[in-house]
Amino acid sequence: MQVWPLRFRELTDHRMIIADDSGNYFLADGNFVDRYARDELNQSDVDFLSARGHTFQEASELAHTAFLTRWAKRQYISDGSAYVILIPTLRCDLKCSYCQVSRAPVAAKGFDWDEQILDRVLAFFDNLPVNEIQIEFQGGEPFLRLDHLKAIADFARRRFQQARFVVCTNLQTLNADILEFLASEDVLISTSLDGPHQIHTQNRTRSAYLTQEFHQNLVRVLDLIGPERVSALPTIDMKHPPQPEELISAYEQFGFTSLYLRPVNYQGFARKSHPSARTSETWTSYYQEFIYSLIARNSRTGRVMEEFYLAHCLRRILAPGADSHTDLRNPNIPTGANAVIDFDGQIYSSDEARMLARIRQINLSIGSVIDGLDREKLALLAPSHINNFDPDCIHCPYQPFCGTDPIDDMSRNGRIDVPRQESWFCQRHLAVFDLAIELLYSRDPAVEFTLCSWLGLEKLPDALRPIAP
Amino acid sequence: MIQLRLRSECDRSLSPFVVRISNGARQCRDDATLIFEKLGVLNYRAEHTEFCIRDVAPKDIAGDVLLIDPRRQIAHRLIRARSRHNTFLITEQCDQRCLMCSQPPKEHHQDMFEHFLSAARLAPLGAQIGLSGGEPLLHKQALFNFIDAAWTTRDDLSFHILTNGQHFDEGDLPWLRSHRAQLLWGVPIYSADAAIHDEIVGKPGAFAQLSGNFSLLGLAGAALELRTVVMKQNVSGLPDLADFITRYLPFAATWAIMQMERIGYGRMNWSHCFFDSSKEFTDLGAAIDLMSARRQSVVLYNFPLCTIPPVFRNLAAQSISDWKQKYLPECESCSTRIRCAGFFEWYREEDGFMGIHPQ
Ligand code: SF4
Ligand code: SF4
Repeated sequence: MQVWPLRFRELTDHRMIIADDSGNYFLADGNFVDRYARDELNQSDVDFLSARGHTFQEASELAHTAFLTRWAKRQYISDGSAYVILIPTLRCDLKCSYCQVSRAPVAAKGFDWDEQILDRVLAFFDNLPVNEIQIEFQGGEPFLRLDHLKAIADFARRRFQQARFVVCTNLQTLNADILEFLASEDVLISTSLDGPHQIHTQNRTRSAYLTQEFHQNLVRVLDLIGPERVSALPTIDMKHPPQPEELISAYEQFGFTSLYLRPVNYQGFARKSHPSARTSETWTSYYQEFIYSLIARNSRTGRVMEEFYLAHCLRRILAPGADSHTDLRNPNIPTGANAVIDFDGQIYSSDEARMLARIRQINLSIGSVIDGLDREKLALLAPSHINNFDPDCIHCPYQPFCGTDPIDDMSRNGRIDVPRQESWFCQRHLAVFDLAIELLYSRDPAVEFTLCSWLGLEKLPDALRPIAP
Repeated sequence: MIQLRLRSECDRSLSPFVVRISNGARQCRDDATLIFEKLGVLNYRAEHTEFCIRDVAPKDIAGDVLLIDPRRQIAHRLIRARSRHNTFLITEQCDQRCLMCSQPPKEHHQDMFEHFLSAARLAPLGAQIGLSGGEPLLHKQALFNFIDAAWTTRDDLSFHILTNGQHFDEGDLPWLRSHRAQLLWGVPIYSADAAIHDEIVGKPGAFAQLSGNFSLLGLAGAALELRTVVMKQNVSGLPDLADFITRYLPFAATWAIMQMERIGYGRMNWSHCFFDSSKEFTDLGAAIDLMSARRQSVVLYNFPLCTIPPVFRNLAAQSISDWKQKYLPECESCSTRIRCAGFFEWYREEDGFMGIHPQ
């Protein structure tokens, strides 16, 4: 009998989280690891492992085939749909303190697609080898170029069997034309809500009046198209983070049931004015505090708010196939079907890569709509977008659940080969996965209540939290 | 109840033959057209003969494929054009003796593949045909040949094969691989505990054999539907079985948890086996929760809707074949009846579910 290789990580309470390459995990104490390392597993260890698919006798028997299948399901394979982010303009009518891209003033010239680029974007779509697409309009403020949005939407509805549009807007301005565009069922809104009035004002609008206007527009849009088609994200400035309770109330007040906590992205122009974003410890402890406040609040009120990223990571731990979030997939090989098209027609593999080019750190453009995709560059980028062979990740029990972000590594460290644990991506994900495991194994009814609601379960099955004898 | 056998009259000297009742104009040689109808007797003309069918309205059998048995003066409705539940009974032989079997095995085998092939060729476009038994794979080579032959002219057909999974071997891998897109294998597993499984199917060593064959189906990339009839004997083991499925059978497309059918051995062993899930759903709920946390599909077959806790009702399928399905008098007033699986024709209220509540 053989045991599939196991990887360990010590948690804060000294227990070990152990997992194999297929993502089957369990908790054990240090003695178990000693026995495993010395090849001295006893009968009850072996029984425990075999019952959970960690062992096999020979190739082609069920235990072996099952492991191969579980492993294969952990690898992300494109499902034949595309996800493209478009930047029809860089101009914006707000000037947020952490703005990630070099926004341009509303009156500026030369920061919008011209007709030629628009035509080429349409041609680029026409050539995508997919039948389904999600198109995200970012900016700048995309509604400043409603004409481009309409042209793209009209084309995509004809070209693809299924098309969805997400407009990432600051919702400062609504007019009849915008409302008409929003009326279609396939159009969704994503906006920024940084928390209570005063924090939102401080980070984003710098004017109580503008914040109020935004609130009114948000309510109006929610009334018009319903909460299913509107989402909001807070960006957390670690210099003045909102109280968790305040932030949650601000979201609840608008009827949101999910929020996605993101730190200010340490990239682009944001990093100049936000040195606090450099340290990941402050973020991690804020994040944990936030999650525990959220859980306590959920249990107190009986209403359930979800923190999207933790819930998503938890789903990724529990099962393969939770690949809906484009930023956390493995492998996550850049292709034209997952791309960002900038205001000048340059194509990038991610929004972060676009920002790096904007600040002239390194040009990671993978082509342009004029010249087409740069296959050589795509091939060059591919190997860093898979974590299976990373010298650190191969020892990490979270590898099957985790992903990569070489662009972020590049941005912070100027190179992509820093030891994982020194990278922000890894530090952030170790913290999220540690927290997810801690919650999963918690016996606190408040925690179980929140987890069950996030996962859509009646009761949290004990089989989801195995502990070695 | 819809009749699957109809009284028929035709020349007794003929051998059994397959015809399709034409729906409008005659489309091929094997179509039979209605000549006249008199006193409830339908007179049809086929290529070489004429025959009558009784007790059915012309519109109800239009498009159906019939096997006419002149000696017994019976017409078997092999394919009913307007039903999703068409099944060919390949054989009545079986090497297992499952406690709840609804179709108890018989010694004798009558080979019908020739007629099944003719019928399959006349099936509606894109039809899925069930192949069941007994144990169809006891006649594996003939069965595989039949499927290959059907596909030479009708590659739009797909087959749902119910098998006990005891009769594959490594030599079948290439065939299973090349046919995987249009075959769905329904295979029962009753427990993750080999002893309990073997006891339920009445065959020592069955679980071990099944495991190896599951592995083959997994390696072939076959579409696999696991089927578990819930009974007193295995209900407490369902959460463990769910854990086993997600760890050892991750390639299964779906897991059907099924209620018992009170016929055959199922009727004989009813009081010994029937588990009233309308009164107690805890283990079923735990098994379902585990499956959904691990993102593997699960469905409930043969569960009347009101016997399922509301949160799990979306998993219930209308699984009972139309020809043997019924509702109870109290269902008359129920608002969810159109989505409800209802009951088998042979279900009895007095020893059935205690918690039937019209919604
Ligand atoms: S990046 Fe860090 S957390 Fe993720 S798999 Fe690699 S070592 Fe583990
Ligand atoms: S009352 Fe009858 S029809 Fe209604 S859910 Fe129950 S069994 Fe189904």
